[in-house]
Amino acid sequence: MTSKLEEFKDELETCFGTSCGFCERGCPVYQSMKVKTLCMKGRNRTMLGLIQGKFEISPAVVQAAFECTLCGNCDRWCSLKNTEHTRAFREYLLRHGVEPMKEHSSILASIKSYGNPWFQPRSARNRWTKGMNIPKSAPGKQEVIFFAGCTSAVTKQLNKGLVASAKLLQKAGIDFATMGQDEPCCGSTLLRVGQTQAFKELSEENVRKFKALGVKKIVTACPGCYTTLKKVMEDSGTKIDVVHISKEIARLVREGKIKVTKTSERVTYHDPCHLGRLGGVFDEPREIVDAVAKFVEMPNNRYEARCCGAGAGLQSAFPKLSKDLAAKRVAEAKSTGATTIVTSCPFCETQLRTVPGMKVVDLMELLLDATEGNGKNNNTKSAG
Amino acid sequence: MPQMSYIDELVSAIGKEKVLQDPSEKFVYGADWSPRTPQEFVPPDVVVLPRTTRDVQRIIKIAFEHDIPVVAGGGLTGMLGGAVPIHGGIYVDTTTMNSVIEVDAKNQTVRVQAGATLQEVNDAVHPYDLWLPHQPESKWVSTVGSAIACDNDSTFGVRYGKILNCLLSAELVTGTGEILELGHRKAHFTSSGYKLKDLLAGSEGTLGIITEATLKLEPIPATRQVDMLVFPRMGAAVDYLSRLLKAGLCIEAAHINCKRRLNFYTHSYRQKYGKDPEIPAWAEALLAIAFAGDSEVVESQRGYALKIAKEFEAQLVEEREIVEAWWASKYTLEFEPFKQKWPDSQTKKKFGAADPGVPVGRLEEFYHKFISVAEKHNLEIIGMNAYLEHPNSIGFSLSCAVFVDYRNADEVKRFREFHDELSKLAVAFEGTMSTFMSDTYQKAPYLEIEHGASLKYMREVKRLFDPKGIMNPGKKFPREALK
Repeated sequence: MTSKLEEFKDELETCFGTSCGFCERGCPVYQSMKVKTLCMKGRNRTMLGLIQGKFEISPAVVQAAFECTLCGNCDRWCSLKNTEHTRAFREYLLRHGVEPMKEHSSILASIKSYGNPWFQPRSARNRWTKGMNIPKSAPGKQEVIFFAGCTSAVTKQLNKGLVASAKLLQKAGIDFATMGQDEPCCGSTLLRVGQTQAFKELSEENVRKFKALGVKKIVTACPGCYTTLKKVMEDSGTKIDVVHISKEIARLVREGKIKVTKTSERVTYHDPCHLGRLGGVFDEPREIVDAVAKFVEMPNNRYEARCCGAGAGLQSAFPKLSKDLAAKRVAEAKSTGATTIVTSCPFCETQLRTVPGMKVVDLMELLLDATEGNGKNNNTKSAG
Repeated sequence: MPQMSYIDELVSAIGKEKVLQDPSEKFVYGADWSPRTPQEFVPPDVVVLPRTTRDVQRIIKIAFEHDIPVVAGGGLTGMLGGAVPIHGGIYVDTTTMNSVIEVDAKNQTVRVQAGATLQEVNDAVHPYDLWLPHQPESKWVSTVGSAIACDNDSTFGVRYGKILNCLLSAELVTGTGEILELGHRKAHFTSSGYKLKDLLAGSEGTLGIITEATLKLEPIPATRQVDMLVFPRMGAAVDYLSRLLKAGLCIEAAHINCKRRLNFYTHSYRQKYGKDPEIPAWAEALLAIAFAGDSEVVESQRGYALKIAKEFEAQLVEEREIVEAWWASKYTLEFEPFKQKWPDSQTKKKFGAADPGVPVGRLEEFYHKFISVAEKHNLEIIGMNAYLEHPNSIGFSLSCAVFVDYRNADEVKRFREFHDELSKLAVAFEGTMSTFMSDTYQKAPYLEIEHGASLKYMREVKRLFDPKGIMNPGKKFPREALK
């Protein structure tokens, strides 16, 4: 059977022949390591050599496959489907006897047992909604579901962003429900670490669940869930719309359903890879930040934003490199003179917080803090 | 005690983490942009990632001791195989040496490790309102060291020249492991001694490895205006440029494209409008020209240039989208996300070129030769570019480009024949075989056609710097010639 990787052979040969290396400049891993096997040009070559039988699978080959955040910056500069190549590469290795990295196999085990990648009981998903009077979804009851995402739901420090999101939806009068402890994992992590079969099974189950609830729209605060669910829903042919919270809320602000006041605090915005480059959502988060604070742009922004280093299993399997990437991004944010980095992704938020020196705030928290009638806001107060 | 292999010695000298030995890793470092068949592909025997000049010295000393080839490379974007190892040995990836050592804003100079990319240098000096104007299209990836060693082209050559015009001083580790500083420190020029520094331009790593360089910077112009004019003949565009220089205009960039070549650069236009750019049917040459500086100066120079244009049967391209698509592709490299030019034009075949230089008055004649030679070898023609590359003068580098499928041995062979024929023809035209790709292995067998008896002196220079012939063997001179 031809593997997905072999289907990309023509593209890999194109890259091998062209050798332009434009992918190097924005690749956070390459820029940190300066080893060509770890940029996309080198990785494409490694894949080609492997399927051509030039060498066997080795620890260096496995490293080339997995030491990447799949941030998609290389795709910005190239018409080849580089991140898809890398995912196919990972899948190829797992199919050819490479044991999943222990950090990655534990993710799979946890999703199977607990429905989330972080070994937290299913009931942990209920924590953040306590006292908020949000209905639990039931078949045919609500058309809109707020999908919290595993990471924010089961991590106490990240609950604030979810609470803010839900409060803002409530303020704007949106009728929505959550799935509580029945909310499934979207499977994003499985997809990124090459566990394609497990991802496929999980996604099929998820589509059945959403269909059974009669949902029309899924609003999520997690960019990973956003791109993953959006693609799964589109591929499955359901008409369920998947929207990131920033788009939903920006619209409500624009329509005047959420009223805000602006402070003079200098705030910069970090584009999460899955929301920006991979999800195409750039403007709405900026619109929100600009409405409530003095927005300053980092030198590398939008399509060229540098990855925080958390993605695609890098944080779990290569923690030192991952942290180095975070430090570089925070340094870039500091260079703007901003005091706060706003982002809209639980992974980016956690990752950027590991570097001391700057306040890191979720986009929805920032906005909630600036809404009229929130009580906390008074033109001098900043979120945090 | 068994004798250590040279690779063991490398590990012990510079550290295990800087030595890559896995076959998959070596495979990655063996190829550049040059059309070579998979059968010709020879990965290096080991890859090293030095961080300092001392690391490079240790590596070369070990290679010297064991008589092992040493090939230094940067971005591996060369189009004629200058930095690919063809005899195996040690590949020295210089991109791990990319520190910016000192910016002297007052003197407008920067000292860098030679593995810094041209863009990294520009990122570092931008806060001082300075820039390094040596700007090939590969600037994001091409390093300072490889720009010097390959002597590649620059978009802004007509105002600032090429890298040698920016190079004040360079540190070189020779083929014996000796560390030399060649040049005149921070002084912008000198009348002292032999100009050994100039030997480095186009030396292709055959004399040693460049480890640091002091480069002259220029103030960043406040504005830039790019225009495109069409001409009925290439010769008319050349005459026009000559006239502009006589008039005293300070041109920042000037590129003549033949009509076919423009198509290679206007992908973003086609993506956006779904059609080819509309160029008058009579137009045979397209001149892209830029002026830069304070806006009043730019406006005045541009106005004068456009006024004179009428005398040369030229017509201004009014559709800004074509001009911008060309400039975006050529210089800013900004394009529609996911739909840009590299490598979408090359999914099936790759870009292959000859890079001769001919006397200015014979450009048109040579252009027709290029077309007939390409047709004779049954190669799909991309077209010709003539770049003004010498400060404030009319000297050209020529890119005579065709498509080549590197997987097709017969086509690669035909490309080589095409390349060699044009190179030799350029000498017959009283010109030169190379203007931006250097000689590499490709021109090595017939370098004597261009250099005659002086080639003997070149061999002696090589022997002085690299007595064992271990530095990038096979480039410029066939390997045996030095043995």
